[in-house]
Amino acid sequence: MTIRPLMGLFLGSAMAAFTSVASLNVAWAEDVTVSFLTHWPPETVAKLEAAAATYAKDHPGVKVEVRAVPFGDLLTTLRSQAGQAGGPTIAGIYDLWLPELARDKLVNAAPEANAADVTTNWPKGVATAASVGGTVYGYPNEIDVYALNYNKKLFEEAGIKEAPKTWDEFYAAAEKLTNKDKGQQGFGMINSWAAGVVHPFASLLASNGGALVVDGKPQLDSENAKATFELYEKLIKSGASVATMGTADANTTGPFLDNFVSGKTGMIIMANWWESALKAGMGDRFADVATAPIPVGPKGDGPHSISYSWMTVVSDGASDAEKKAAWDFLGWFNGPTSGENGASAMGDLLQSMGILPSRTSDVAAFAERLKTPFLAGYVDVLSEARPFPTVLGGQEFTESLQSHIEAVQFGKETAAEAAAAAQADAAAILEKAAQ
Amino acid sequence: MSARGRLPAGAAASTGWRAFLYLLMIAIAVASAFPLVWMVLSSLKTPAEAMQTPPVWLPATPSLDAYQKVNELIRVGRSFANSALIAGITTAGILVTSLMAGYAFAKYRFRYREVLFAITIATMFLPPIVTLIPLYRLVGSIGLNASLAGVILPNLANAFGIFLMRQFIAGMPDELLEAARLDGASEFRIVFQIVAPAVAPALAALALFAFVYHWNSYLWPLTVLQGNSDNYPIVISLSRLLSYNRSAVNTGLVMAGATLAVLPPLILFVFLQRFFVRTITASGVTGQ
Amino acid sequence: MIGLRKSIFAMLAPSLSLIALFILVPIALTIWLAFTKWSVQTPFSSATFIGFDNFREIFGSTSVGRDFKGAMINTALYSAMSIALILPLSVVFGMLIHQAELKGANILRTILFATYMVPMIAVALVFSKLYSPTEGPFNQMLAWIGIGPQPWLSSPDTALVSVVLLNVWQQVGYFTILIIAGLTQIPQSIYEAAKMDGARGPALFGFITLPLLKRTLLFSVVIALINAVQVFEPVALITQGGPVGSTNVLTYHIRRVGIERAQGGLGSAMSVTLLLALVVTVTAVFALARREERR
Repeated sequence: MTIRPLMGLFLGSAMAAFTSVASLNVAWAEDVTVSFLTHWPPETVAKLEAAAATYAKDHPGVKVEVRAVPFGDLLTTLRSQAGQAGGPTIAGIYDLWLPELARDKLVNAAPEANAADVTTNWPKGVATAASVGGTVYGYPNEIDVYALNYNKKLFEEAGIKEAPKTWDEFYAAAEKLTNKDKGQQGFGMINSWAAGVVHPFASLLASNGGALVVDGKPQLDSENAKATFELYEKLIKSGASVATMGTADANTTGPFLDNFVSGKTGMIIMANWWESALKAGMGDRFADVATAPIPVGPKGDGPHSISYSWMTVVSDGASDAEKKAAWDFLGWFNGPTSGENGASAMGDLLQSMGILPSRTSDVAAFAERLKTPFLAGYVDVLSEARPFPTVLGGQEFTESLQSHIEAVQFGKETAAEAAAAAQADAAAILEKAAQ
Repeated sequence: MSARGRLPAGAAASTGWRAFLYLLMIAIAVASAFPLVWMVLSSLKTPAEAMQTPPVWLPATPSLDAYQKVNELIRVGRSFANSALIAGITTAGILVTSLMAGYAFAKYRFRYREVLFAITIATMFLPPIVTLIPLYRLVGSIGLNASLAGVILPNLANAFGIFLMRQFIAGMPDELLEAARLDGASEFRIVFQIVAPAVAPALAALALFAFVYHWNSYLWPLTVLQGNSDNYPIVISLSRLLSYNRSAVNTGLVMAGATLAVLPPLILFVFLQRFFVRTITASGVTGQ
Repeated sequence: MIGLRKSIFAMLAPSLSLIALFILVPIALTIWLAFTKWSVQTPFSSATFIGFDNFREIFGSTSVGRDFKGAMINTALYSAMSIALILPLSVVFGMLIHQAELKGANILRTILFATYMVPMIAVALVFSKLYSPTEGPFNQMLAWIGIGPQPWLSSPDTALVSVVLLNVWQQVGYFTILIIAGLTQIPQSIYEAAKMDGARGPALFGFITLPLLKRTLLFSVVIALINAVQVFEPVALITQGGPVGSTNVLTYHIRRVGIERAQGGLGSAMSVTLLLALVVTVTAVFALARREERR
């Protein structure tokens, strides 16, 4: 080896590095480029890109480019890049994350026209979730709600006539559906995924007349919450729910999904958006899946579940021209002219994933699609759903509660211990976050 | 590796003992290769086969459909090019900077040499997570966010490379260098024309090590590239396939992506591994 | 002498300036941020000094302290188990390849070492499928020999061990190469002399091989420790730190607190603690080895 190949390699690489930087700068020097950060899978991203291309036809000089990261990396990407030069102009976020983004002034308050658009064309509760202190920060899009999913075939085999309406019926059904020899569990509890653990618990709690947080104070040691922890403990102790069958991976799938798909889990409490995962996994057997309201606890006044929404926000760190272009694009993308038959392009995209749209006109446009048995069960419970509390420190609060629910699932804490510890932790977390 | 050590009981070893050793060797090889073989086999299965319980081991009708699908979902060619750029430039940079610094630490005497060397070596022990956030901010402040240059620049020098080169160059006779100096050779000429060829196997080993490490690296490119998929290396593009990790039906797809990402480092390894083994064996890396 | 000084500078400047800018400056920033309250979403200038509060909190009794101490313990367990499995295996493999004079030993070496070249993300994806409770081949193979299905990654009692096994599979080949390198440095004549004195199998291993491999083993322990502390991809991609926090290791936890929850000060304090713990451990390992040597 002599000097020349080595130096040549070095110089060549240095030049390549230089040109790659230079070419990037050129790409950004176009009139306005709006970047759109999302966690959607490639097929959905392709739909978004198609919509952006349509928009670009009428808006020469504006380019919308999509940046996509896996769900598990979305929050990290947002946190480390929001407000930075070159960070995304538009980002799709989970509403729980909004308070902190607004506190740190990373998201741009919607211009008056867009704010009015959101408050008039979306249901009040959804618009509120997209706001902090009365200021609208983005366009709500998907709305997710939890319901009881069950396998009709397993119900038949166990001789159960209809979906359980009360906790007693629910527990009885779970026991009947359990068959140790077949490795079959009655009710599937999720672990290792914060929202997947906490939302079903919170839905059962709401259906037992309780709430996670009231006026900014956690209520995890209320009698209603204690009873919910006890229900979990009872299901685990009787073997009607097997904790090790419920593990999820970073992409919110894994054994818990596989077990339901392959008919080893009788019932589960999950959200509407996993319709596409169920269809992909079950094929024709998807017809066996039915949806029902959350069973009502002894202290409850009726079935309630938890809802949460996703929204698109605009970075406050973007230039004025970028912000203007971003809001204009979002208004069009979420508006009634961009899709087919009076739906928005966003609505089209969401319903392709089996996700409920939230814009009032979209709900009307997709009325037929929303009547399919699986989704209809979700639409029915939407009006009685309680939004998941969006408070400062919400993510940490969720993860803390998750750890105590999992501790009960795996027999590391009793129901009473979990309720007391979850309450103490949550109180400290929310107090600290509110400072 | 001429003077091979004999197993102590070697001479008197019974046939039974040797048969056992061969069996052990085969068992280890099978256990070691199994996950990769399974990965390749799974990538050739149809979705229906992937779903079966108990699992099917050999695909009945091997199909490349999964690879086709991967190519539709992520830009495989572009990602490979990005990976090659990132790993290639970073490796070239590490070779040059390590050679120079290793030479200086090995052959020059100067004040604070030991302190500087100790500080440099200490950075080898640093878990990357410790500096992730400030480093990200720093790279952003010089305008390299979302670019390949941002992925590459912070990694162009590396303590392990400097350490390895110093170990090797220290073993070179000083007379050789003195003679070159008397001939009027500049220090740079000495480094690249005399020292570099003499430590070529070590450079090859370092090249393999650096290339594979940066081809495989995940956390830093993910952080700095900000979702700019134009610049994604293949391992990050592969993580996009995770959204298809739903139920077993897409196992083939995910395994096809994994197979694609594994191939280049493995091929490079086949060519360069002998240098690596020789270098580690000959160097003081194992603590001479 | 001025010429020499110039070349010293020219030789060291490229690498040392890069290391200073991209490693030392960020370390200094991390140490400073550890004493501040700072949201990672905001500029450094918004960090406010709060003394040792972050350290008090991560060692305190609230959920922050419990989670951090849990992550420290998980990381320590993960490292200890990895080292305890990798080292003996690599010594056995190394002796088998180098000393047993078997045909095909080089093929085994290549196969073993090849796993080290596989991107961790691919390893994680493949093992998440291998460990799968229903469709996974591991449980099927266990069934062949009459062992019931194991929960692997799905139970807090086995999840961390499962991640360790994945790590051992990937790394053992690299350490086998290190051991082989160490074995080649033991002069053949020592074995010959010992055999003349009547030493056989285990005695040769215990009195010659092992003592003369000590430096190699020491080096291997340190490298294995540093690698183990950095474990990230399998946890981030498969277990998310669960179930019940049983695989919540430090790298993952620091990223979660420092970046996902935006608590940059707390995350930095955790980083600094990790760094100190590592320095103490490595120093202790070296000190112990040196004391042994003096005896």
